[in-house]
Amino acid sequence: MAVDRTLLFKASVKTVKTRNKAIGIGFDSTKDEIFKRTRPKSGFSPKAKEVITNITKLKDFLLQHRKDYVSAGSLISSDLTRMTDSERDQIDQDAQIFMRTCSEAIKQLRNEAEKKVTSSQIKEHRGAVLDLIEMYLKGVCKLYSEQRAIRVKRMVDKKRLYVPVKITFYFEQENQRLVSEMNSLVDEVRQIEGKVVEISRLQEIFAEKVLQQETEIDSIHQLVVGATENVKEGNEDIREAIKNNAGFRVWILFFLVMCSFSLLFLDWYDS
Amino acid sequence: MAASVREKQTVALKRMLNFNAPPLKNTAAEPVWKVLIYDRFGQDIISPLLSVKELRDMGITLHLLLHSDRDPIPDVPAIYFVMPTEENIDRICQDLRNQLYESYYLNFISAISRSKLEDIASAALAANAVSQVTKVFDQYLNFITLEDDMFILCHQNKELISYHAINRPDIQDTDMDAIMDTIVDSLFCFFVTLGAVPIIRCPRGNAAEMVAVKLDKKLRENLRDARNSLFTGDSMAAGQFSFQRPLFVLADRNVDMATPLHHTWTYQALIHDVLDFHLNRVMMEEGAGAEPSPAGARPKKKSRKTYDLTAADKFWQKHKGSPFPEVAESVQEELDTYRAQEDEVKRLKSIMGLEGEDEGAISMLSDNTAKLTSAVSSLPELLEKKRLIDLHTNVATAVLDHIKSRKLDVYFEYEEKLMSKSTLDKSLLDIISDPDAGTPEDKMRLFLIYYITTQQAPTESDLEQYKKALLDAGCDLSPLTYIKQWKAFTKMASTPANYGNSGVKPMGLFSRVMNTGSQFVMEGVKNLVLKQHVTDWSSVTSQETDDYRYFDPKMLRGSESSIPRNKNPFQEAIVFVVGGGNYIEYQNLVDYTKSKQGKKVVYGCSELFNSAQFIKQLSQLGQK
Repeated sequence: MAVDRTLLFKASVKTVKTRNKAIGIGFDSTKDEIFKRTRPKSGFSPKAKEVITNITKLKDFLLQHRKDYVSAGSLISSDLTRMTDSERDQIDQDAQIFMRTCSEAIKQLRNEAEKKVTSSQIKEHRGAVLDLIEMYLKGVCKLYSEQRAIRVKRMVDKKRLYVPVKITFYFEQENQRLVSEMNSLVDEVRQIEGKVVEISRLQEIFAEKVLQQETEIDSIHQLVVGATENVKEGNEDIREAIKNNAGFRVWILFFLVMCSFSLLFLDWYDS
Repeated sequence: MAASVREKQTVALKRMLNFNAPPLKNTAAEPVWKVLIYDRFGQDIISPLLSVKELRDMGITLHLLLHSDRDPIPDVPAIYFVMPTEENIDRICQDLRNQLYESYYLNFISAISRSKLEDIASAALAANAVSQVTKVFDQYLNFITLEDDMFILCHQNKELISYHAINRPDIQDTDMDAIMDTIVDSLFCFFVTLGAVPIIRCPRGNAAEMVAVKLDKKLRENLRDARNSLFTGDSMAAGQFSFQRPLFVLADRNVDMATPLHHTWTYQALIHDVLDFHLNRVMMEEGAGAEPSPAGARPKKKSRKTYDLTAADKFWQKHKGSPFPEVAESVQEELDTYRAQEDEVKRLKSIMGLEGEDEGAISMLSDNTAKLTSAVSSLPELLEKKRLIDLHTNVATAVLDHIKSRKLDVYFEYEEKLMSKSTLDKSLLDIISDPDAGTPEDKMRLFLIYYITTQQAPTESDLEQYKKALLDAGCDLSPLTYIKQWKAFTKMASTPANYGNSGVKPMGLFSRVMNTGSQFVMEGVKNLVLKQHVTDWSSVTSQETDDYRYFDPKMLRGSESSIPRNKNPFQEAIVFVVGGGNYIEYQNLVDYTKSKQGKKVVYGCSELFNSAQFIKQLSQLGQK
């Protein structure tokens, strides 16, 4: 269990202040504090905070209208709370545009951060901050896609209900048969639609994974290109080395032959 | 007390990392970023409990050592988690002067003194940073929790409170006082975090008694001061209503010197004995042994790999106390289940391939999409499982290599026989003079155990023979000098430790070959079955020993009496060994607890050493 010593600390500050005053050391605390307030803030942090406030606005907006968005539109609820489909479409569109702008802003911040920064600690810090913001954005996007999935499912269910309602106005016998045929067809279609939604979700996951792998494959590509260059250079070096070796050998041979000829000559000269 | 010490410490850390406010459960909450600064003590406390990913999830973008070069990051709050020593305080004051961060949350691992607080205050005033120091807290977390039911006091500077430091002959009273103060400070923090005032029992006449007296005094002083007592408050509400107080049993290392030297057969203890294992992290060198490299090539670089053995690793939690052959089998089983699951996922791929040709198979499609969804969602689990299987395969293979090269199974069996005083089939001299069995250290350990457990001292000629054999094998004989002194001393004091009824039953299978395709071919390694190794302390937890002293910090009068007032059997006990402990004792206690229903035992020690480190300390003591 932790013990809060902040008050004790503040009391110590006062003690030290009075002690300093007594000794005669004074600090122009008030003036410097005003100067401190106007310290120039670096551009990164307020921009990052701005992105976060925008995402929070989106989250609040989605949560606020969630109930209306998702409501099934029963006959009991008043017209004020019911949302028309066009309004829902509008919300969907706005949310998507907003999410796109937010992720663009994050990307831009990332590029900026990479260029300006000098120290590696600040770089790591900014990278981690941007990761946190991205995760937050993902969470909010999940909220949106959840409520959209519910809406789509509702729409599909609703369409299924209207079909038998219309038909019961006609002759019963023939239309019983027609009803059952249509129902089975609609069942199949409903199943397919459900599966398509699932597949689209899977597709999202796969796309994410593929994008992740893209960066890794890029780096592998770079490494491989570098490696081929190195191997080429290595081959060149080896060729030269062979040549030098060969050239060296020729010279040695020549020298030895000359030495032996000179020896023979001297021998002949002497004798 | 449902929450274990580990959970309580983790909760306290998370609270600290959330600017000393209880963390909210809101899933999509706005991220707040911060920087964590710790010293080596703080690092040792945090690393077994929180992984880097968990720190990131809590918003910590950077985690840095206090005494490193840190760049100014002007608009970020910084959380400090350090010990209140002179150097750390100086560095904090320097940071304040250099205006590195926007706001400072200072958390001290143990209580900070008034004068040091004034030092920080004056530095803050000088730098005009008083408003930036937002919070100052005493965390009382000066101990390291390694498992749900195991803790140690410290890892850095552990030589200051090691067995050697406590037992050396040239120790001064002031040194001893300092060591006791350090130990008592950590134990006090432990009880504050646990939220309970224990009843203390300790033997007479050794370091454990000194610790008990000081701890009792400290707890008593804190309880007297009703306003600032750390044991009242809402988090204590649960503890207040329970009438059960934990029993805190102190023991001294000198009671049982053979167990730290013992060769072991359980997984966790083996890893600690044979590999480099600290704070739940194993460090190994990858790369096979001496391979002949072609002429002119550069030798293959050996990479060091570290593995974390955490609470989330289910295989580890299940098998850390199992005997080694069981572990090998289980890894094989896990591998088989994993392969089966992998094959299922691969099969889906082929089904999907066939699907494209067949029309009108909508029903088949629906079944397969469900399968596909479940397969995709189970993929991360599967990958994690694979990683753990690889980890344990590597670790177990390394351990097995050591066992085979040093013939540790032979040592284990022989020592078990020595400790249970059953008949020996080989003579000690044979094992010592055998050149392929074990390193000189192993032989020294075996001989020391023999010397400690034997009823009658060996004759002079026998002793000379043994000494010669040991010297021939390359051992250093100074630990023996110290053990001789120790034995003489303990003979005077009390009866030597009872090693309980432990027996070893060889399964009669001389060679055991695992499945083909497995990497564990344990030819020539006997499959030994461990029986329970009941130690002395289990009897104390059942309150059979009245010889121990009794302290209750909550009683009004200082109790010098040794009559236990509270006769209720204890539900929860904490066993603490002054002078160092190891995983073998921890495993024994865990096994003991499993056999007794409804009782919880927590194991603690002032430092954790394996036999190699203990022998080094003994030889230092023997040379004096």
